[in-house]
Amino acid sequence: MKMKKLLPVLLPGILFLILIAGIITYRSVSEAAQLNRYTATFLDVFDTRTEIVGFAKDKDEFAKNAQLIKDELIRYNQLYDIYNDYPGVNNIKTINDNAGVAPVKVDPDIISLLEFSIDTYYETDGAVNVALGSVLSLWHKERMIGMDDPDRAALPDAEALKEASLHTDITDIVIDKENSTVYLADPDMSLDVGSTGKGYAVQRVLEYAREEGLDNILLSLGGNISCIGTRIDGTSFRLGIQNPDMDSDEQYVEMVDIGDGECVVSSGDYQRYYYVDGVRYCHIIDPKTLYPAGGFASVSVITDDSGLADSYSTALYTMSYEDGLSFVGKRDNVEAMWIMHDGTKRYSEGFIGKYVKK
Amino acid sequence: MKKNDIILIAITLVVALACFIGTRIWQKSNTDEDAVAVVTIDGDIYGEFPLSEDIVERIEFPDGSFNVLTVSEGYADVTEASCPDQICVHHNHIRYSGESIVCLPNKLVVEVKGGEDNGIDGSTY
Repeated sequence: MKMKKLLPVLLPGILFLILIAGIITYRSVSEAAQLNRYTATFLDVFDTRTEIVGFAKDKDEFAKNAQLIKDELIRYNQLYDIYNDYPGVNNIKTINDNAGVAPVKVDPDIISLLEFSIDTYYETDGAVNVALGSVLSLWHKERMIGMDDPDRAALPDAEALKEASLHTDITDIVIDKENSTVYLADPDMSLDVGSTGKGYAVQRVLEYAREEGLDNILLSLGGNISCIGTRIDGTSFRLGIQNPDMDSDEQYVEMVDIGDGECVVSSGDYQRYYYVDGVRYCHIIDPKTLYPAGGFASVSVITDDSGLADSYSTALYTMSYEDGLSFVGKRDNVEAMWIMHDGTKRYSEGFIGKYVKK
Repeated sequence: MKKNDIILIAITLVVALACFIGTRIWQKSNTDEDAVAVVTIDGDIYGEFPLSEDIVERIEFPDGSFNVLTVSEGYADVTEASCPDQICVHHNHIRYSGESIVCLPNKLVVEVKGGEDNGIDGSTY
């Protein structure tokens, strides 16, 4: 008797609940089915590997979004290139070729990079100097020779380094915004935007992608990594910090979860280096000593601007741990992790709490 | 609480659980594949090598450059190469889905597809 009375009440309730359960299941299944995770890898911009992670209904939709990002990266690569000429493009190399000769008319995106780089120079007390080209090219040349043939590996001539360092005055970069020109007042100086160009380009390209309506995107340009939004399921993008010990079974020394617009960059001595008489010399040159820095195996920086992350990681790599810690501590939204040569890890105050989720 | 309330709750839970397990099984059967190392040269696929089979593959280029891919004990590794920077040789061996080793001078990429995922979307280097 009870059953008969209850059934009309219970049955709709049960059906309703089954319906809800069905909808939830269908949604989770169909979302996974409709928006797939895709990655695009290419090797032809900024002389490094680019990876784009995104979510889309199908391959074509993702390819369209990836192409939009790639086209912008190609544009920035041509503008910020110091080694190659491109037809119809005035780039950083054009500026260098005209040092002491004439102002060069350039794209406003070159001027904004140089203004950003000059700000960074003062902010890092000269640790990041895009006017250091004359010194860096001496090291670059020896590193290429040494990597190619270890028997011929040598350090650059000390006198030549000293002479080159006389032509690294950042105030000799003359920017005329009104006419959109750049002139290097010292004929022997040259620009090398290796410490700011990639990071700045990533920042600008992602801002552009955001304006174009793209979401849930991760962009890695040679290890300069930044993202828009989260993964499609709402969880944070998770990144590995490369283990500087390349023989280790553990490829990553730490995993970090980054939020919308945050960026990670590592600087270290474990990828680009050469040996002279058994001593490893890496590609990061300390402008104060004119010799490679080597205080750490690596330094990683997380902050909310990819250009700053790139230059801060270079700057921190040339500082002592104590100076670096105080540099980071003075800034909002900047955290860093240092890996010492013995493999121990040191962190800025908020690093683990903010980014390392166990 | 009435007996029928308990029945209702029980039925609801069973249905929900069944849906959840069903979804999981469906997803798993759709994603689980055996891990293979996919080698591409300048974007074109050169070959696929299951991580379950130990091999040594010498990949040669027309200009005499080469990379040696070694698959051993479930890992893929570039163990030898003609490139001056040797970044691909120094790179750790890989086994998780999505991990890759790149040789820029030879435009060669070894990427693991399928198999176990390490839950990572990218990495610094």
